[in-house]
Amino acid sequence: MNRAALTEFAGRFGESRIGVASLAVTLTFLICALLAPLISPTDPYDLSRLQLIDALKPMGSHQVVPGEEFRASFAVEDGVAVAQGDAHGLAAQSCGDACLEVRLDAETPLASLQVRTLPAGASVEGASKHPVQNWWTVNTPAGNSVRIVSDAPLPETFNFSVIARSDDQPTDLVFHLGTDGFGRDMLSAILYGIRISVFVGVVAAGSAMVIGTGLGLFAAWRGGATDALIMRAVDFMLSFPAILVGLAILAVLGSGVGKVILAVVLVQWCYYARTSRSLALSELNKEYVEAARGLRLPAWRIMARHVLPNCMPQIIVLFTLNIAAAISLESSLSFLGVGLPLTQPSLGMLIANGYEYIFSQKYWISFGPGIVLLVMIVAMNLLGDRLRDVTNPRFER
Amino acid sequence: MSEAFFEVEGLNTWFFTRMGIFKSVRDVSFDLRRGEVLGIVGESGSGKSVTGMSIMGQVEEPGRTVSGSIRLDGEELTSLSFEDMRRCRGRRIAMVFQNPLMTLNPLMRIRDQMYEAISEHESVSEDEMHQRCLDALRAVGIPSPEERLTAYPHELSGGMRQRVVIATALLLNPDLIIADEPTTALDVTIQAQIIHQMRRQIDERGLGMIWITHDLATLSELADRILVMYAGAMMETGTTAEIIGSPRHPYTSKLLESVPSRNVPGEKLRQIRGTMPSLLSLGAGCPFMGRCEHATDACARGVPERMFSQTHRVWCHHPLEV
Amino acid sequence: MAETLFEARDLSRIFEPARGALQQLSDRITGKQPAVVRAVDKVTLSVVEGETLGIVGESGCGKSTLARMITGILPVSGGERRYRGEDYVSFLARKRDALKVQMVFQDPMSSLNPRLKVGEIIGEAAALHRVVPRARVRDHVVEMLERVGLPADTITRYPHQFSGGQRQRIGIARALAVKPELLVCDEAVAALDVSVQAQIINLLMDIRQDSGLSMIFISHDLGLIRHLCDRVAVMYLGRVVELARTEELFANPVHPYTQMLLAGMPRISVERRAFMPIVGEIPSPLHPPSGCHFHPRCSSASGHCSRIRPELSEWTPGHMQACINAG
Repeated sequence: MNRAALTEFAGRFGESRIGVASLAVTLTFLICALLAPLISPTDPYDLSRLQLIDALKPMGSHQVVPGEEFRASFAVEDGVAVAQGDAHGLAAQSCGDACLEVRLDAETPLASLQVRTLPAGASVEGASKHPVQNWWTVNTPAGNSVRIVSDAPLPETFNFSVIARSDDQPTDLVFHLGTDGFGRDMLSAILYGIRISVFVGVVAAGSAMVIGTGLGLFAAWRGGATDALIMRAVDFMLSFPAILVGLAILAVLGSGVGKVILAVVLVQWCYYARTSRSLALSELNKEYVEAARGLRLPAWRIMARHVLPNCMPQIIVLFTLNIAAAISLESSLSFLGVGLPLTQPSLGMLIANGYEYIFSQKYWISFGPGIVLLVMIVAMNLLGDRLRDVTNPRFER
Repeated sequence: MSEAFFEVEGLNTWFFTRMGIFKSVRDVSFDLRRGEVLGIVGESGSGKSVTGMSIMGQVEEPGRTVSGSIRLDGEELTSLSFEDMRRCRGRRIAMVFQNPLMTLNPLMRIRDQMYEAISEHESVSEDEMHQRCLDALRAVGIPSPEERLTAYPHELSGGMRQRVVIATALLLNPDLIIADEPTTALDVTIQAQIIHQMRRQIDERGLGMIWITHDLATLSELADRILVMYAGAMMETGTTAEIIGSPRHPYTSKLLESVPSRNVPGEKLRQIRGTMPSLLSLGAGCPFMGRCEHATDACARGVPERMFSQTHRVWCHHPLEV
Repeated sequence: MAETLFEARDLSRIFEPARGALQQLSDRITGKQPAVVRAVDKVTLSVVEGETLGIVGESGCGKSTLARMITGILPVSGGERRYRGEDYVSFLARKRDALKVQMVFQDPMSSLNPRLKVGEIIGEAAALHRVVPRARVRDHVVEMLERVGLPADTITRYPHQFSGGQRQRIGIARALAVKPELLVCDEAVAALDVSVQAQIINLLMDIRQDSGLSMIFISHDLGLIRHLCDRVAVMYLGRVVELARTEELFANPVHPYTQMLLAGMPRISVERRAFMPIVGEIPSPLHPPSGCHFHPRCSSASGHCSRIRPELSEWTPGHMQACINAG
């Protein structure tokens, strides 16, 4: 298309605000998909970074560094406590008669300090005792220290062990959209999900376009039995619901990105074949094609250089609409659990993951990807509709 | 001659587009008497069709009739409300287009379409409608009209369809019929038949007709008076004999000369050089100036109206001698 | 005498209505013959070098189909075509020679590919078939544009930027670019305004004079045919009903259909002529009348006319006609 025609096209496209808005939204999603690794706060594919402690956190909560645990065993002899092995910074010293102070020399405030297996009669100040075991726990001990006290003098020799836990530390990383059951940041997961969905959509719809348009043009050019054969195959494919074909294929082949793409291509090629055939048939009747035949141009050249470019505008409209359809089909399949693997969550998979929590008020897991998917598909459909309106010759005034 | 019953005065219809204002019709005025056919002739882009649409009040966006007066029996049509104008169309003014399929509904039988045209404006019994349809079809020379009434448009030939459209236009006995290239798409023999029947209807019913075409030959056989338009403006008007026999405007004369039958066979045709100017870049001068052999500096400044007879008027600085 | 350039003998073209596989099978079993359209029915004609042959007829007479068979765009259903005595089968197989017959189309809108630049439209075939060396294609295109009266910068523009007359010039340049010997013009000026029509006709006459091109000029406009052609074939419903030198045909039309066409020919004249009413419509090509196709509309038809298929026969030397009641 030359520049004047392009300007005219852009001008007509711009007449509709909805068209412009849908284009802007679609472009935003495309950019998100392209730049996902750069703009997303975490890498949701890196399983080693996930920590259970972050799981199911609501929107706006911070990621935390889980508290550390310090363990040491002490042997007390003649009132002097000696650490057995590495003390991990824990120390115990006498604090008078029948009193032993256990402390951790560290800046991190402790969440709890537990003392185990004290001799009979001894207890820990301000501690709660385990209902069964001889375990004494003090929450947030002041000065990171606790005192073991006893009414009676402590035995000469005894052993005890200490388990100190430091507090969880919030980090600067905020989960703006919450986290899912694995502790994955939903924002990152959605950005990567868009990337996967758009990739599958574009590649699948694109492959379907190439294959379908090729077959459609071939059918239009050859006519007769070839045409009948291809078009009956199209009718056959169109008579099945898309989701059913997808399910059947993935049930046989198993899940995976390539297989989902294959399923979408199998569903979608027939739309292109049917459209391109009818477009090509009407172009083939035009005098410029007769002129090309009169000039003895080879058949492939007439199809590729004369017929195809004149069919392209409508095919591209179909392509736009079919990307949306491909994304929605892929999401449906993933939602049903036959689409993409768990390690590469697409939007549909994310929605499915959140589905089990939706009745326990953890709505954000499904809502984020759900709304994103909805907006993306609506925007692409509106964009396709608008393109169809603008390229429709009857639209011209 | 009787008084004019239909008058158009100073009609201006412009199209406001992104590229600018297309002044498709500029200061066009004419009148029409009963029983008379006025032919408007011009090439594509001359504004002849837009003139017809303007009279019908059917100019589509982004076009607008900017100024001018259109009077039917003294009643001003441009100030009618949409609803009144709709009633006026069909009942008093009917239009026939080049492509009959634009007017005919492909899914309805001819009978139902014709009945609808009547019942839209009058309430009469079915028998009477039936009779009127038959009369109208006979009037335009359709053989065995009973059978045609139950047919669908696609079952009829092109000529037959156009006759059905004309018959439908005649149904309500309008005062004025505007026909826009009604026979252009038809074969010569069919064209001659339709023109013959049209002429008879006009004479019998005493209705007025505006026949818009690019074809001077059909006009010379049908029209009483001719208006020649070029690039939205009037060039020359007069009786058919005046225009065909003694054209005064260089454009009319050139147009007539370029027809093959007015040239020696085998020799080159006398052609008009150049092309029509863009309707966007028209000045006050004569639009034909750039292609005219007689053009002088004066032509760039306004166009005078010259009268050669009661009916023969020419808009030109240098009218031809006869 | 000049060499015969193109010759058609008993040329026919049958269009079968589209039938599904089931329909075809059931037709074959029941032995039913599908209704076929004989768009062109055993047409015999020839063009000698340097001559312009006119083909005139109303819509549905098969003149456009005939044009496409002559140019080899459509295959024939029967009969033979010869170019300089050589059969079309071998003639069309040699692509470069097959370029000798070119066509100019009716519709200036659809006859140019809207997505190609004018330079590509005109130069494509010349470059592909090496009509001129690759390096010279551009110059060749400019030369063609000059010949049809368009500026050289037309090359880089698209068809939609031109008016109908200019597009038709581009169409003519496209045909001329492969150096044809026979140019078939199918209603080449029918879609144009009168003043533009005259320009294009003059252009065609110029080209014919300069290069000695032979032409087949197809039109419904008798005025144009009379102006341009040496000989005229009159077609009615797929058959040639009369074929004669132009002056002869216009002076002494023999076939009743030709007479009717000439009488109905619109003329620009001041005096209104007495009207000769013409009866009937053109019948549908799907169900043509038996015998002579014209008999239902013919005033001098006899009983034989509906039974006997009239053949084209010589009336006077060089004047062929197909009415059994003539004379």
